[in-house]
Amino acid sequence: MEERIIKFISALRAQGLRVSLAESEDAFNAINMLGVHERETFRLSLRATLVKDTADLKVFDELFPLFFSANTPPPLINLAEDLTPQEAGKIAEAIRHFNQHLQNMLDKLMHGEPLSQQELEQLAQMIGLQHANDLRYQEWMARRMEQALRFEEVREAIQELMDTLAEMDLDPQRLEQIRQLLEANQAALGEQLRQYVGQRIAENLSDQPPEEDIDRLLNRPFNALSEKNMQILRDEVRRLAAILRSRVALRQKRAKSGKLDPKATIRTNLKHNSVPFQIKYRNRHLKPKLVVLCDISTSMRYCSELMLSLIYAMQDLVSKTNAFAFIDHLEYITPDFQGKRANEAVGSVLRRIPTGYYSTDLGYTLSNFASDYLDKIDSRTTFIMVGDGRNNYNNPQVEIFRTISRRSHRTIWINPEPRIQWGTGDSDMWQYAPYCDDILKAATLNELTAAVDKLLN
Amino acid sequence: MKAFKSAAQIKDNLQKQSYIASEEIATIMYLSQQLGKPLLSEGPAGVGKTELAKAIAAATGRELIRLQCYEGLDETKALYEWEYAKQLLYTQLLRDKLSSTLSDSRNLTEAADRLAAEEDVFFSMRFLLQRPLLKAILSDQPSVLLIDEIDRADAEFEAFLLEILSDFQVSIPELGTITAKHIPLVVLTSNNTRELSEALKRRCLYLFIDYPSSEQELAIVRLKIPELAPKLAAQAVEVVQRLRGMDLRKSPSISETLDWAKALVTLNSSNLDSETLDKTLSVLLKHETDLTRAKRRLRQLTGEPMEPDEDSGLGQFRIQN
Repeated sequence: MEERIIKFISALRAQGLRVSLAESEDAFNAINMLGVHERETFRLSLRATLVKDTADLKVFDELFPLFFSANTPPPLINLAEDLTPQEAGKIAEAIRHFNQHLQNMLDKLMHGEPLSQQELEQLAQMIGLQHANDLRYQEWMARRMEQALRFEEVREAIQELMDTLAEMDLDPQRLEQIRQLLEANQAALGEQLRQYVGQRIAENLSDQPPEEDIDRLLNRPFNALSEKNMQILRDEVRRLAAILRSRVALRQKRAKSGKLDPKATIRTNLKHNSVPFQIKYRNRHLKPKLVVLCDISTSMRYCSELMLSLIYAMQDLVSKTNAFAFIDHLEYITPDFQGKRANEAVGSVLRRIPTGYYSTDLGYTLSNFASDYLDKIDSRTTFIMVGDGRNNYNNPQVEIFRTISRRSHRTIWINPEPRIQWGTGDSDMWQYAPYCDDILKAATLNELTAAVDKLLN
Repeated sequence: MKAFKSAAQIKDNLQKQSYIASEEIATIMYLSQQLGKPLLSEGPAGVGKTELAKAIAAATGRELIRLQCYEGLDETKALYEWEYAKQLLYTQLLRDKLSSTLSDSRNLTEAADRLAAEEDVFFSMRFLLQRPLLKAILSDQPSVLLIDEIDRADAEFEAFLLEILSDFQVSIPELGTITAKHIPLVVLTSNNTRELSEALKRRCLYLFIDYPSSEQELAIVRLKIPELAPKLAAQAVEVVQRLRGMDLRKSPSISETLDWAKALVTLNSSNLDSETLDKTLSVLLKHETDLTRAKRRLRQLTGEPMEPDEDSGLGQFRIQN
């Protein structure tokens, strides 16, 4: 049992849950306490100790039955037992007309024999089940096993058998009964296959080596990421954001204890006869206001998505964020983030502004911004531009950028390209550069995290 | 003050406190008690997370110590604070005694030494203002500590909680480390407005409380508001369950169902006709847009003629008929 639980935990990990050693220890403690006899209690004790996120509950509920179901295939009914010898004889004769495979199958169904472990393994080998490591394949793999057993033909054979038997003068009512039982047995075999596939996949999952080294991915440039890598990084962003958040929060907190606030100190210490027991410090407004403009054209998409995820994961450290996305024109995307997780929100924005139909026009975007949203920028605002500055030879509208830069507290450009590529081809980066307080290079997630850390400084 | 022997016993005892606990709640609560681990309960607002802590306190006969979290909550509000005013008052009142103690000292060093010998008096439990966390740790009797809406507190407060939740001890520089006499039963609640840190989650057992099924909800309504006619209660619960299925800005929770049931009793309603609905639905839904959509939908369900509207789904519905 213990081994089974350990396998279960590693399958959970393979599905992207972060289960720590301490938590698995808790799980074992809980099980020692409550026992494994009652399935529901057992399930609850595992769930309460291993899963700490609502979103992960689904994964748990999916995997649990695969590991801890009773492991017995659904019952098959032995038809042959209650046939009269005469009936059995007729059926045996009728079956003889089919080919070898169908004869075997019908025999199995008649006697209610489940598939043996060996047969199952052979089938699995045939369809390549040993390579399946995703639960979404369960249904498909089961269907392929059914095909390998030629279920469809068997179904037809049953019909044929019935017809033959009817000609042999068997009682129609009795015949109907036999047919139903045969079909039920076939369905049960299908269910057995399905369970077997599920368990095999689950085992494959727990044997899977851990995902590609996350540290290497963190340092891989955005334009070299596959969609699968990206999926891993999306999860990773949450963790990075949490680390970043506590770091920034601590910094904001420490920064509070700066200057003495004499007024507040005198006021609070009136109750102590004006003896300054409690010192009050001036609480500078440290939480920045952010305005983020993200280029989400194909080349910049991953970078912008991860950037927005990071920023929105840290909402409690920022007094206000206004986010915009653009390719050739500006879209206000803050409302998309309300009440959603960052990656869902980014997904919905990306669906609304698909790539591929038009090319980046930074200049027009800036003039959009200036005419509609310039009031979002005041002296406390940090203006962040995420983009590569590649403008497809359109008018760069540097003048507007300068106005924005002058109105804002700080202007920061986050660019995935290294300095050496600026100004090459259609890049207008050098024209914008003089008006930026800081230009941060962020070509990998690690660099991006460092950049966000810096801009919340 | 008793420890429960099984999950079923917890369930029964909670029922006596008019809290209907599902199997899941009772089992995880029992685990929390047995393992001495805090319980983190998450779920939509108003499904009875806070109530659970209150009910378990009442069921065990333990004292409920509650810490309500908010942005800016810090140690002095959550853990302890020296009571400066009282210290000052005591120094004033004890001035004579102090001067007599110090009067016959020959030099300054000796006077300072004597004073130092007495300083423990001023940094003792007497002058320590106990906030909820310290109270739970110092309590002579086992208690229930409720840390409510932890997601509202800042991230650094969460980090500060870690020591307390894993070891049940605090260090006060002037007094040393204080360890809990009895490990309190800790319940944390969160509305999931922000993600909690993994370190905190790791130390807790996790319980997700969702909206109840209609049988459970009916049982809750019947238990809490017995005056409401059974038939009306069933209808009311059905309406609420249906509203939850709609895409609303704020779905009604159990507490709102109960408020609504109370309103129906107060208004002496005998039937859920559209007039009663119109009058009382605002108890259930707190957004104007939700309210209009819900009314339209309910009217459609009760089969009364509808006004033309722009809701596309309904438009299609009518064409089909």
